[in-house]
Amino acid sequence: MNAALRWAGIGVFCLVAVAPFAYVVSASFKATQSLFQFPPEWIPADPTLGNYRRLFTDLPFLRWTLNTLFVAGTVAALKVIFDSMAGYAFSKLTFTGRGALFGLMLATVMIPPAVLIIPLFFLIRDAGLLDTYWALILPPLANPIGIFMMRGFFDALPAELGHAARIDGAGPFRTYWHVVLPLVKPGLVVVGVYAFLIQYTNFVWPLVATSSEDLYVLTTGLARLKPNFTAPDWGLISAGSIAAMVPITLVFLALQRQFVSASLAGALKG
Amino acid sequence: MSVATADTDLRRLRRAHRRRQNAAALAFLGPNLVFFVAFLLLPVAWVVRQSFMEGGVLGPATWVGLDNWRQAIDDPALRRSLWHTLLFTAMTVPAVLGVALVLALLLRGVGRGGALVRGIVYLPSLAPVVLAGLLWIFVVNPDVGLLNAGVRAVGAEPVNWLGDAQLALPSIALLEVWRGTGFWALFLLAALLAVSRELYDAAAIDGASPFNRFRFVTLPGIGPTLLVAVVLTTLVAMQVFDAVFVLTNGGPAGATDTAVLYIYRSVFESGQPGYGAVLSLVLMALIVALTAVIVHSARRRAA
Repeated sequence: MNAALRWAGIGVFCLVAVAPFAYVVSASFKATQSLFQFPPEWIPADPTLGNYRRLFTDLPFLRWTLNTLFVAGTVAALKVIFDSMAGYAFSKLTFTGRGALFGLMLATVMIPPAVLIIPLFFLIRDAGLLDTYWALILPPLANPIGIFMMRGFFDALPAELGHAARIDGAGPFRTYWHVVLPLVKPGLVVVGVYAFLIQYTNFVWPLVATSSEDLYVLTTGLARLKPNFTAPDWGLISAGSIAAMVPITLVFLALQRQFVSASLAGALKG
Repeated sequence: MSVATADTDLRRLRRAHRRRQNAAALAFLGPNLVFFVAFLLLPVAWVVRQSFMEGGVLGPATWVGLDNWRQAIDDPALRRSLWHTLLFTAMTVPAVLGVALVLALLLRGVGRGGALVRGIVYLPSLAPVVLAGLLWIFVVNPDVGLLNAGVRAVGAEPVNWLGDAQLALPSIALLEVWRGTGFWALFLLAALLAVSRELYDAAAIDGASPFNRFRFVTLPGIGPTLLVAVVLTTLVAMQVFDAVFVLTNGGPAGATDTAVLYIYRSVFESGQPGYGAVLSLVLMALIVALTAVIVHSARRRAA
Protein backbone atom coordinates (compact mmCIF):
# COMPACT_ATOMS: atom_id res chain seq x y z
CA MET A 1 0.00 0.00 0.00
CA ASN A 2 1.07 3.52 -0.73
CA ALA A 3 2.67 5.08 2.38
CA ALA A 4 0.96 8.45 1.91
CA LEU A 5 -2.43 6.77 1.61
CA ARG A 6 -1.73 4.68 4.68
CA TRP A 7 -0.80 7.70 6.78
CA ALA A 8 -3.81 9.63 5.51
CA GLY A 9 -6.02 6.77 6.68
CA ILE A 10 -4.30 6.56 10.06
CA GLY A 11 -4.60 10.32 10.37
CA VAL A 12 -8.36 10.13 9.93
CA PHE A 13 -8.61 7.45 12.63
CA CYS A 14 -6.48 9.50 15.04
CA LEU A 15 -8.56 12.60 14.34
CA VAL A 16 -11.85 10.79 14.99
CA ALA A 17 -10.43 9.23 18.16
CA VAL A 18 -9.22 12.53 19.57
CA ALA A 19 -11.85 15.01 18.34
CA PRO A 20 -14.55 14.29 20.98
CA PHE A 21 -11.96 14.51 23.77
CA ALA A 22 -10.55 17.74 22.39
CA TYR A 23 -14.01 19.20 21.97
CA VAL A 24 -15.07 18.36 25.54
CA VAL A 25 -11.75 19.58 26.99
CA SER A 26 -12.33 22.82 25.13
CA ALA A 27 -15.92 22.99 26.39
CA SER A 28 -14.80 22.38 29.96
CA PHE A 29 -12.89 25.67 29.90
CA LYS A 30 -15.80 27.64 28.49
CA ALA A 31 -18.69 29.48 30.03
CA THR A 32 -21.95 27.85 28.88
CA GLN A 33 -23.13 30.53 26.47
CA SER A 34 -20.01 30.34 24.29
CA LEU A 35 -20.76 26.65 23.67
CA PHE A 36 -23.56 27.64 21.35
CA GLN A 37 -21.34 29.47 18.91
CA PHE A 38 -21.16 28.26 15.35
CA PRO A 39 -18.64 27.36 14.04
CA PRO A 40 -17.40 25.96 17.36
CA GLU A 41 -14.55 27.77 19.02
CA TRP A 42 -11.88 25.10 19.64
CA ILE A 43 -9.56 27.33 21.66
CA PRO A 44 -11.73 29.27 24.14
CA ALA A 45 -11.15 33.00 23.74
CA ASP A 46 -12.04 33.55 27.36
CA PRO A 47 -10.97 30.35 29.23
CA THR A 48 -12.29 29.75 32.74
CA LEU A 49 -11.53 27.24 35.46
CA GLY A 50 -14.99 27.81 36.91
CA ASN A 51 -16.37 24.45 35.75
CA TYR A 52 -13.58 22.52 37.42
CA ARG A 53 -13.99 24.58 40.58
CA ARG A 54 -17.71 23.78 40.60
CA LEU A 55 -16.92 20.04 40.54
CA PHE A 56 -15.59 20.46 44.05
CA THR A 57 -18.07 23.03 45.33
CA ASP A 58 -21.35 21.88 43.69
CA LEU A 59 -20.55 18.15 43.71
CA PRO A 60 -18.69 15.85 46.11
CA PHE A 61 -16.31 15.09 43.24
CA LEU A 62 -13.31 14.55 45.50
CA ARG A 63 -15.28 12.11 47.62
CA TRP A 64 -16.42 10.18 44.52
CA THR A 65 -12.83 9.99 43.27
CA LEU A 66 -11.60 8.73 46.63
CA ASN A 67 -14.49 6.22 46.80
CA THR A 68 -13.57 4.93 43.34
CA LEU A 69 -9.89 4.60 44.22
CA PHE A 70 -10.70 3.00 47.58
CA VAL A 71 -13.14 0.43 46.18
CA ALA A 72 -11.08 -0.37 43.08
CA GLY A 73 -7.84 -0.47 45.09
CA THR A 74 -9.29 -2.72 47.79
CA VAL A 75 -10.84 -5.13 45.30
CA ALA A 76 -7.59 -5.22 43.31
CA ALA A 77 -5.47 -5.92 46.41
CA LEU A 78 -7.79 -8.67 47.64
CA LYS A 79 -8.03 -10.23 44.17
CA VAL A 80 -4.23 -10.32 43.88
CA ILE A 81 -3.96 -12.15 47.21
CA PHE A 82 -6.89 -14.57 46.84
CA ASP A 83 -6.49 -15.32 43.13
CA SER A 84 -2.78 -16.03 43.44
CA MET A 85 -3.61 -18.46 46.25
CA ALA A 86 -6.35 -20.18 44.25
CA GLY A 87 -4.28 -20.18 41.07
CA TYR A 88 -1.43 -21.81 42.96
CA ALA A 89 -3.73 -24.51 44.34
CA PHE A 90 -5.10 -25.32 40.89
CA SER A 91 -1.67 -25.35 39.32
CA LYS A 92 0.63 -26.94 41.90
CA LEU A 93 -1.46 -28.93 44.41
CA THR A 94 -3.25 -32.22 43.83
CA PHE A 95 -6.49 -32.56 45.71
CA THR A 96 -9.86 -34.29 45.49
CA GLY A 97 -12.20 -32.76 42.91
CA ARG A 98 -9.63 -30.40 41.39
CA GLY A 99 -10.73 -30.92 37.80
CA ALA A 100 -14.44 -30.71 38.60
CA LEU A 101 -14.11 -27.51 40.62
CA PHE A 102 -11.97 -25.85 37.98
CA GLY A 103 -14.46 -26.86 35.28
CA LEU A 104 -17.34 -25.46 37.32
CA MET A 105 -15.56 -22.13 37.76
CA LEU A 106 -14.68 -22.00 34.08
CA ALA A 107 -18.32 -22.67 33.15
CA THR A 108 -19.51 -19.64 35.15
CA VAL A 109 -17.64 -17.38 32.72
CA MET A 110 -20.65 -17.90 30.46
CA ILE A 111 -22.95 -16.27 33.03
CA PRO A 112 -23.50 -12.68 31.92
CA PRO A 113 -23.04 -10.23 34.82
CA ALA A 114 -26.43 -8.74 33.93
CA VAL A 115 -28.10 -11.94 35.16
CA LEU A 116 -26.69 -11.37 38.64
CA ILE A 117 -28.12 -7.85 39.11
CA ILE A 118 -31.48 -8.85 40.59
CA PRO A 119 -30.36 -11.71 42.86
CA LEU A 120 -27.32 -9.82 44.13
CA PHE A 121 -29.50 -6.85 44.97
CA PHE A 122 -31.84 -8.99 47.10
CA LEU A 123 -28.96 -10.94 48.62
CA ILE A 124 -27.09 -7.82 49.68
CA ARG A 125 -30.31 -6.16 50.84
CA ASP A 126 -31.31 -9.14 52.99
CA ALA A 127 -27.82 -9.22 54.46
CA GLY A 128 -28.38 -5.60 55.49
CA LEU A 129 -25.39 -4.43 53.46
CA LEU A 130 -27.18 -2.25 50.91
CA ASP A 131 -25.65 1.22 50.62
CA THR A 132 -22.36 0.33 52.34
CA TYR A 133 -18.78 -0.07 51.14
CA TRP A 134 -19.20 -3.80 51.77
CA ALA A 135 -21.84 -3.92 49.04
CA LEU A 136 -19.41 -2.33 46.59
CA ILE A 137 -16.42 -4.50 47.49
CA LEU A 138 -17.70 -8.01 48.27
CA PRO A 139 -19.68 -9.17 45.18
CA PRO A 140 -16.94 -8.25 42.66
CA LEU A 141 -14.60 -10.64 44.48
CA ALA A 142 -16.49 -13.59 42.98
CA ASN A 143 -15.20 -12.98 39.44
CA PRO A 144 -13.03 -16.05 38.71
CA ILE A 145 -11.08 -14.69 35.71
CA GLY A 146 -8.11 -13.71 37.86
CA ILE A 147 -7.79 -17.32 39.06
CA PHE A 148 -7.43 -18.56 35.49
CA MET A 149 -4.88 -15.87 34.74
CA MET A 150 -2.85 -16.75 37.84
CA ARG A 151 -3.02 -20.46 37.13
CA GLY A 152 -1.53 -19.76 33.71
CA PHE A 153 1.38 -17.91 35.29
CA PHE A 154 2.00 -20.72 37.81
CA ASP A 155 1.74 -23.37 35.09
CA ALA A 156 4.56 -21.63 33.22
CA LEU A 157 6.95 -22.18 36.13
CA PRO A 158 9.13 -25.34 35.91
CA ALA A 159 7.82 -28.22 38.04
CA GLU A 160 11.32 -28.85 39.42
CA LEU A 161 10.98 -25.68 41.46
CA GLY A 162 8.26 -27.17 43.65
CA HIS A 163 10.08 -30.51 43.92
CA ALA A 164 13.28 -28.82 45.03
CA ALA A 165 11.40 -26.82 47.65
CA ARG A 166 9.72 -29.97 48.94
CA ILE A 167 13.04 -31.84 49.22
CA ASP A 168 14.34 -28.88 51.23
CA GLY A 169 11.43 -29.53 53.58
CA ALA A 170 9.17 -26.60 52.63
CA GLY A 171 5.40 -27.20 52.89
CA PRO A 172 2.90 -25.79 50.40
CA PHE A 173 2.60 -22.51 52.30
CA ARG A 174 6.30 -21.76 52.41
CA THR A 175 6.73 -22.89 48.82
CA TYR A 176 3.95 -20.54 47.77
CA TRP A 177 5.16 -17.55 49.70
CA HIS A 178 8.96 -17.81 49.42
CA VAL A 179 9.56 -19.75 46.23
CA VAL A 180 6.87 -19.28 43.57
CA LEU A 181 5.13 -16.01 44.46
CA PRO A 182 8.21 -13.84 43.79
CA LEU A 183 8.46 -15.46 40.35
CA VAL A 184 4.96 -14.52 39.22
CA LYS A 185 5.10 -10.81 40.06
CA PRO A 186 4.22 -9.82 36.47
CA GLY A 187 1.09 -11.97 36.81
CA LEU A 188 0.16 -10.29 40.07
CA VAL A 189 0.39 -6.90 38.38
CA VAL A 190 -1.82 -7.99 35.48
CA VAL A 191 -4.47 -9.43 37.82
CA GLY A 192 -4.35 -6.30 39.96
CA VAL A 193 -4.64 -3.92 37.03
CA TYR A 194 -7.46 -6.02 35.58
CA ALA A 195 -9.46 -5.93 38.82
CA PHE A 196 -8.81 -2.21 39.25
CA LEU A 197 -9.92 -1.51 35.70
CA ILE A 198 -13.18 -3.43 36.08
CA GLN A 199 -14.07 -1.58 39.26
CA TYR A 200 -13.12 1.79 37.83
CA THR A 201 -15.45 1.12 34.90
CA ASN A 202 -18.17 -0.68 36.85
CA PHE A 203 -21.55 1.00 36.72
CA VAL A 204 -24.61 -1.24 37.01
CA TRP A 205 -23.64 -2.81 40.30
CA PRO A 206 -22.69 0.41 42.17
CA LEU A 207 -25.87 1.96 40.75
CA VAL A 208 -27.94 -0.85 42.21
CA ALA A 209 -26.00 -1.28 45.46
CA THR A 210 -25.77 2.30 46.70
CA SER A 211 -28.21 5.16 46.98
CA SER A 212 -26.54 7.81 49.12
CA GLU A 213 -24.41 10.44 47.46
CA ASP A 214 -21.55 9.81 49.89
CA LEU A 215 -21.12 6.30 48.53
CA TYR A 216 -21.23 7.10 44.83
CA VAL A 217 -18.21 6.25 42.74
CA LEU A 218 -17.21 8.37 39.74
CA THR A 219 -19.41 6.49 37.27
CA THR A 220 -22.58 6.51 39.38
CA GLY A 221 -21.99 10.07 40.57
CA LEU A 222 -21.33 11.56 37.15
CA ALA A 223 -24.11 9.55 35.49
CA ARG A 224 -26.59 11.62 37.53
CA LEU A 225 -25.52 14.61 35.46
CA LYS A 226 -27.15 13.15 32.38
CA PRO A 227 -29.75 15.45 30.94
CA ASN A 228 -33.17 13.95 31.60
CA PHE A 229 -35.86 16.55 31.40
CA THR A 230 -33.88 19.64 32.27
CA ALA A 231 -31.25 21.41 30.23
CA PRO A 232 -27.87 19.72 30.73
CA ASP A 233 -25.29 21.42 32.93
CA TRP A 234 -22.65 21.51 30.21
CA GLY A 235 -19.96 22.85 32.48
CA LEU A 236 -20.21 20.07 35.06
CA ILE A 237 -20.62 17.31 32.47
CA SER A 238 -17.56 18.37 30.50
CA ALA A 239 -15.28 19.11 33.44
CA GLY A 240 -16.47 16.01 35.32
CA SER A 241 -15.97 13.53 32.51
CA ILE A 242 -12.53 14.93 31.67
CA ALA A 243 -11.38 15.07 35.30
CA ALA A 244 -12.62 11.50 35.88
CA MET A 245 -10.43 10.32 32.98
CA VAL A 246 -7.26 11.55 34.73
CA PRO A 247 -6.68 8.71 37.26
CA ILE A 248 -7.29 5.93 34.74
CA THR A 249 -5.06 7.65 32.18
CA LEU A 250 -2.25 7.88 34.73
CA VAL A 251 -2.56 4.16 35.48
CA PHE A 252 -2.49 3.51 31.73
CA LEU A 253 0.66 5.57 31.19
CA ALA A 254 2.43 3.96 34.14
CA LEU A 255 1.57 0.35 33.27
CA GLN A 256 0.90 0.37 29.54
CA ARG A 257 1.93 -3.20 28.75
CA GLN A 258 0.10 -4.85 31.65
CA PHE A 259 -2.83 -2.55 30.99
CA VAL A 260 -3.45 -3.87 27.51
CA SER A 261 -3.22 -7.54 28.54
CA ALA A 262 -5.42 -6.78 31.53
CA SER A 263 -8.12 -5.02 29.52
CA LEU A 264 -8.02 -7.92 27.10
CA ALA A 265 -8.98 -10.18 29.97
CA GLY A 266 -11.49 -7.54 30.94
CA ALA A 267 -13.23 -7.89 27.61
CA LEU A 268 -13.63 -11.53 28.46
CA LYS A 269 -15.93 -10.71 31.35
CA GLY A 270 -17.81 -7.94 29.60
CA MET B 1 7.13 -57.00 59.46
CA SER B 2 4.78 -58.91 57.21
CA VAL B 3 3.89 -57.83 53.72
CA ALA B 4 0.26 -57.25 54.72
CA THR B 5 1.03 -54.70 57.45
CA ALA B 6 3.52 -52.88 55.21
CA ASP B 7 0.74 -52.63 52.65
CA THR B 8 -1.79 -51.11 55.09
CA ASP B 9 0.90 -48.79 56.47
CA LEU B 10 1.54 -47.53 52.98
CA ARG B 11 -2.16 -47.06 52.37
CA ARG B 12 -2.54 -45.20 55.64
CA LEU B 13 0.39 -42.96 54.75
CA ARG B 14 -1.16 -42.22 51.37
CA ARG B 15 -4.48 -41.38 52.95
CA ALA B 16 -2.80 -39.06 55.45
CA HIS B 17 -0.88 -37.43 52.64
CA ARG B 18 -4.06 -36.94 50.64
CA ARG B 19 -5.82 -35.44 53.66
CA ARG B 20 -2.97 -33.02 54.17
CA GLN B 21 -3.08 -32.08 50.50
CA ASN B 22 -6.83 -31.52 50.64
CA ALA B 23 -6.51 -29.40 53.77
CA ALA B 24 -3.82 -27.28 52.18
CA ALA B 25 -5.85 -26.85 49.00
CA LEU B 26 -8.90 -25.86 51.04
CA ALA B 27 -6.86 -23.23 52.83
CA PHE B 28 -5.62 -21.81 49.52
CA LEU B 29 -9.03 -21.92 47.83
CA GLY B 30 -11.10 -20.96 50.88
CA PRO B 31 -11.66 -17.25 50.33
CA ASN B 32 -12.44 -17.67 46.63
CA LEU B 33 -14.78 -20.59 47.33
CA VAL B 34 -16.78 -18.49 49.78
CA PHE B 35 -17.17 -15.61 47.28
CA PHE B 36 -17.81 -17.99 44.40
CA VAL B 37 -20.66 -19.71 46.24
CA ALA B 38 -22.11 -16.57 47.84
CA PHE B 39 -21.97 -14.17 44.92
CA LEU B 40 -22.10 -16.40 41.84
CA LEU B 41 -23.69 -19.83 42.45
CA LEU B 42 -26.26 -18.68 45.01
CA PRO B 43 -27.40 -15.69 42.89
CA VAL B 44 -27.92 -17.91 39.85
CA ALA B 45 -30.08 -20.25 41.90
CA TRP B 46 -31.85 -17.22 43.37
CA VAL B 47 -32.70 -15.73 40.00
CA VAL B 48 -34.29 -19.03 38.92
CA ARG B 49 -36.37 -19.04 42.12
CA GLN B 50 -37.25 -15.36 41.68
CA SER B 51 -38.66 -16.08 38.24
CA PHE B 52 -41.44 -18.05 39.98
CA MET B 53 -42.13 -15.32 42.54
CA GLU B 54 -44.07 -12.10 42.55
CA GLY B 55 -43.19 -8.92 44.43
CA GLY B 56 -40.34 -8.84 46.92
CA VAL B 57 -39.10 -5.30 46.43
CA LEU B 58 -41.22 -3.77 49.19
CA GLY B 59 -43.35 -6.57 50.64
CA PRO B 60 -42.54 -10.26 50.87
CA ALA B 61 -42.35 -12.30 47.67
CA THR B 62 -45.08 -14.85 46.94
CA TRP B 63 -44.92 -18.01 44.88
CA VAL B 64 -46.84 -17.72 41.59
CA GLY B 65 -45.51 -20.74 39.73
CA LEU B 66 -45.20 -20.24 36.00
CA ASP B 67 -47.33 -17.06 35.90
CA ASN B 68 -44.34 -14.76 35.43
CA TRP B 69 -43.09 -16.84 32.54
CA ARG B 70 -46.47 -16.81 30.80
CA GLN B 71 -47.10 -13.11 31.35
CA ALA B 72 -43.55 -11.90 30.84
CA ILE B 73 -43.19 -13.63 27.50
CA ASP B 74 -46.38 -11.85 26.39
CA ASP B 75 -45.19 -8.51 27.76
CA PRO B 76 -44.65 -6.23 24.73
CA ALA B 77 -42.11 -4.11 26.64
CA LEU B 78 -40.01 -7.20 27.36
CA ARG B 79 -40.16 -8.36 23.76
CA ARG B 80 -39.29 -4.89 22.52
CA SER B 81 -36.27 -4.70 24.84
CA LEU B 82 -35.00 -8.04 23.56
CA TRP B 83 -35.51 -6.98 19.96
CA HIS B 84 -33.61 -3.72 20.52
CA THR B 85 -30.80 -5.64 22.18
CA LEU B 86 -30.47 -7.96 19.20
CA LEU B 87 -30.65 -5.02 16.82
CA PHE B 88 -27.96 -3.17 18.75
CA THR B 89 -25.75 -6.27 18.66
CA ALA B 90 -26.31 -6.70 14.93
CA MET B 91 -25.32 -3.06 14.41
CA THR B 92 -22.27 -2.85 16.64
CA VAL B 93 -20.47 -6.19 16.24
CA PRO B 94 -19.85 -6.03 12.47
CA ALA B 95 -19.27 -2.26 12.55
CA VAL B 96 -16.77 -2.30 15.43
CA LEU B 97 -14.81 -5.27 14.09
CA GLY B 98 -14.97 -4.14 10.45
CA VAL B 99 -13.64 -0.69 11.25
CA ALA B 100 -11.11 -2.15 13.69
CA LEU B 101 -9.84 -4.54 11.01
CA VAL B 102 -9.33 -1.66 8.56
CA LEU B 103 -7.38 0.25 11.20
CA ALA B 104 -5.36 -2.86 12.09
CA LEU B 105 -4.44 -3.36 8.41
CA LEU B 106 -3.35 0.28 8.21
CA LEU B 107 -1.28 -0.04 11.39
CA ARG B 108 0.40 -3.26 10.26
CA GLY B 109 2.98 -1.59 8.06
CA VAL B 110 3.80 1.23 10.47
CA GLY B 111 7.31 1.18 11.84
CA ARG B 112 8.40 4.53 13.22
CA GLY B 113 5.75 6.36 15.24
CA GLY B 114 3.77 3.16 15.71
CA ALA B 115 3.68 3.32 19.50
CA LEU B 116 2.40 6.89 19.48
CA VAL B 117 -0.30 6.16 16.90
CA ARG B 118 -1.40 3.03 18.76
CA GLY B 119 -1.63 5.06 21.97
CA ILE B 120 -3.80 7.70 20.27
CA VAL B 121 -6.29 5.29 18.71
CA TYR B 122 -6.51 3.41 22.03
CA LEU B 123 -7.59 6.57 23.86
CA PRO B 124 -11.38 6.15 23.42
CA SER B 125 -11.16 2.57 24.72
CA LEU B 126 -9.65 3.93 27.91
CA ALA B 127 -12.87 5.74 28.81
CA PRO B 128 -15.34 3.82 31.00
CA VAL B 129 -18.64 3.59 29.10
CA VAL B 130 -20.37 6.05 31.43
CA LEU B 131 -17.70 8.69 30.80
CA ALA B 132 -17.65 7.96 27.08
CA GLY B 133 -21.43 8.37 27.16
CA LEU B 134 -21.09 11.78 28.80
CA LEU B 135 -18.54 12.78 26.16
CA TRP B 136 -20.92 11.49 23.52
CA ILE B 137 -23.58 13.97 24.64
CA PHE B 138 -21.23 16.62 23.25
CA VAL B 139 -21.10 14.75 19.96
CA VAL B 140 -24.78 14.06 19.36
CA ASN B 141 -26.51 16.98 21.08
CA PRO B 142 -28.59 18.86 18.49
CA ASP B 143 -27.50 22.34 19.69
CA VAL B 144 -23.87 22.12 20.74
CA GLY B 145 -22.91 18.70 19.30
CA LEU B 146 -19.92 18.03 17.11
CA LEU B 147 -21.90 15.95 14.60
CA ASN B 148 -24.33 18.76 13.96
CA ALA B 149 -21.48 21.26 13.65
CA GLY B 150 -20.38 19.11 10.73
CA VAL B 151 -23.93 18.84 9.41
CA ARG B 152 -24.32 22.61 9.55
CA ALA B 153 -20.92 23.17 7.97
CA VAL B 154 -22.15 21.42 4.82
CA GLY B 155 -25.34 23.46 4.95
CA ALA B 156 -27.80 20.74 5.97
CA GLU B 157 -30.52 20.89 8.64
CA PRO B 158 -29.38 19.98 12.18
CA VAL B 159 -30.39 16.45 13.20
CA ASN B 160 -31.85 15.45 16.57
CA TRP B 161 -29.73 12.31 16.91
CA LEU B 162 -31.05 10.95 20.19
CA GLY B 163 -34.51 12.49 19.95
CA ASP B 164 -35.40 10.68 16.74
CA ALA B 165 -36.77 7.18 17.32
CA GLN B 166 -35.08 5.90 14.16
CA LEU B 167 -31.67 7.42 14.91
CA ALA B 168 -31.37 6.98 18.67
CA LEU B 169 -30.20 3.36 18.74
CA PRO B 170 -27.74 3.81 15.85
CA SER B 171 -26.37 6.93 17.58
CA ILE B 172 -25.62 4.85 20.67
CA ALA B 173 -24.14 2.11 18.48
CA LEU B 174 -21.89 4.77 16.94
CA LEU B 175 -20.54 5.49 20.43
CA GLU B 176 -19.69 1.80 20.77
CA VAL B 177 -17.86 1.92 17.44
CA TRP B 178 -15.91 5.01 18.48
CA ARG B 179 -15.03 3.48 21.85
CA GLY B 180 -14.26 -0.05 20.66
CA THR B 181 -12.31 0.49 17.44
CA GLY B 182 -8.91 1.21 19.00
CA PHE B 183 -8.97 -1.66 21.41
CA TRP B 184 -10.11 -4.25 18.89
CA ALA B 185 -7.70 -2.93 16.27
CA LEU B 186 -4.78 -3.59 18.63
CA PHE B 187 -6.28 -6.98 19.43
CA LEU B 188 -6.46 -7.89 15.73
CA LEU B 189 -3.10 -6.27 14.95
CA ALA B 190 -1.35 -8.77 17.22
CA ALA B 191 -2.88 -11.59 15.15
CA LEU B 192 -2.07 -9.88 11.83
CA LEU B 193 1.59 -9.56 12.81
CA ALA B 194 1.68 -13.27 13.59
CA VAL B 195 0.62 -14.30 10.04
CA SER B 196 3.64 -15.82 8.36
CA ARG B 197 5.51 -13.52 5.94
CA GLU B 198 6.25 -16.56 3.75
CA LEU B 199 2.56 -17.11 3.01
CA TYR B 200 2.36 -13.60 1.56
CA ASP B 201 5.55 -14.14 -0.45
CA ALA B 202 4.16 -17.40 -1.83
CA ALA B 203 0.86 -15.69 -2.71
CA ALA B 204 2.74 -12.85 -4.42
CA ILE B 205 4.76 -15.34 -6.50
CA ASP B 206 1.50 -17.03 -7.51
CA GLY B 207 0.30 -13.62 -8.68
CA ALA B 208 -2.52 -13.24 -6.15
CA SER B 209 -4.29 -9.87 -6.20
CA PRO B 210 -4.29 -7.79 -2.99
CA PHE B 211 -7.92 -8.79 -2.43
CA ASN B 212 -7.16 -12.48 -2.86
CA ARG B 213 -4.16 -12.18 -0.57
CA PHE B 214 -6.51 -10.74 2.05
CA ARG B 215 -9.18 -13.34 1.37
CA PHE B 216 -6.95 -16.43 1.30
CA VAL B 217 -3.97 -15.52 3.49
CA THR B 218 -4.92 -12.79 5.95
CA LEU B 219 -8.46 -13.84 6.86
CA PRO B 220 -7.68 -17.52 7.53
CA GLY B 221 -4.56 -16.40 9.41
CA ILE B 222 -6.46 -14.23 11.86
CA GLY B 223 -9.58 -16.44 11.85
CA PRO B 224 -9.33 -17.77 15.41
CA THR B 225 -8.61 -14.29 16.80
CA LEU B 226 -11.50 -12.82 14.82
CA LEU B 227 -13.77 -15.52 16.22
CA VAL B 228 -12.80 -14.63 19.79
CA ALA B 229 -13.43 -10.96 18.98
CA VAL B 230 -16.89 -11.70 17.55
CA VAL B 231 -17.87 -13.75 20.59
CA LEU B 232 -16.62 -11.15 23.08
CA THR B 233 -18.14 -8.13 21.33
CA THR B 234 -21.44 -10.00 21.05
CA LEU B 235 -21.32 -10.77 24.77
CA VAL B 236 -20.79 -7.11 25.60
CA ALA B 237 -23.34 -5.76 23.12
CA MET B 238 -26.06 -8.10 24.38
CA GLN B 239 -25.64 -6.55 27.83
CA VAL B 240 -25.64 -2.91 26.74
CA PHE B 241 -26.80 -0.71 29.61
CA ASP B 242 -24.40 2.07 30.67
CA ALA B 243 -24.50 4.01 27.42
CA VAL B 244 -28.28 3.73 27.11
CA PHE B 245 -28.79 4.76 30.73
CA VAL B 246 -26.68 7.88 30.30
CA LEU B 247 -27.75 8.94 26.81
CA THR B 248 -31.46 8.13 26.43
CA ASN B 249 -32.67 6.12 29.44
CA GLY B 250 -34.66 4.01 26.99
CA GLY B 251 -36.27 6.89 25.11
CA PRO B 252 -37.56 8.40 22.94
CA ALA B 253 -40.81 6.51 23.52
CA GLY B 254 -38.99 3.28 24.33
CA ALA B 255 -36.96 3.28 21.12
CA THR B 256 -33.76 2.39 23.00
CA ASP B 257 -35.18 0.09 25.68
CA THR B 258 -32.74 -2.79 26.02
CA ALA B 259 -32.82 -6.05 27.95
CA VAL B 260 -30.59 -5.00 30.83
CA LEU B 261 -32.44 -1.70 31.15
CA TYR B 262 -35.65 -3.72 31.49
CA ILE B 263 -34.03 -5.93 34.12
CA TYR B 264 -32.88 -2.87 36.06
CA ARG B 265 -36.30 -1.27 35.88
CA SER B 266 -38.09 -4.44 36.93
CA VAL B 267 -36.65 -3.89 40.40
CA PHE B 268 -36.31 -0.13 40.67
CA GLU B 269 -39.29 1.14 38.70
CA SER B 270 -42.01 -1.39 37.90
CA GLY B 271 -41.59 -3.47 41.09
CA GLN B 272 -41.79 -6.74 39.13
CA PRO B 273 -38.45 -8.43 39.78
CA GLY B 274 -40.05 -11.71 38.72
CA TYR B 275 -40.32 -10.42 35.16
CA GLY B 276 -36.75 -9.20 35.37
CA ALA B 277 -35.66 -12.63 36.54
CA VAL B 278 -37.43 -14.24 33.58
CA LEU B 279 -35.71 -11.87 31.18
CA SER B 280 -32.34 -12.46 32.91
CA LEU B 281 -32.65 -16.17 32.23
CA VAL B 282 -33.89 -15.65 28.67
CA LEU B 283 -30.99 -13.28 28.03
CA MET B 284 -28.49 -15.77 29.40
CA ALA B 285 -29.94 -18.56 27.24
CA LEU B 286 -29.85 -16.27 24.22
CA ILE B 287 -26.21 -15.32 24.82
CA VAL B 288 -25.17 -18.94 25.27
CA ALA B 289 -27.11 -19.93 22.12
CA LEU B 290 -25.62 -17.07 20.08
CA THR B 291 -22.12 -17.98 21.19
CA ALA B 292 -22.72 -21.60 20.26
CA VAL B 293 -24.04 -20.63 16.82
CA ILE B 294 -21.10 -18.30 16.15
CA VAL B 295 -18.50 -20.85 17.22
CA HIS B 296 -20.24 -23.65 15.35
CA SER B 297 -20.59 -21.77 12.07
CA ALA B 298 -16.97 -20.61 12.29
CA ARG B 299 -15.84 -24.21 12.75
CA ARG B 300 -17.91 -25.36 9.78
CA ARG B 301 -16.44 -22.66 7.57
CA ALA B 302 -12.91 -23.49 8.69
CA ALA B 303 -13.42 -27.19 7.97
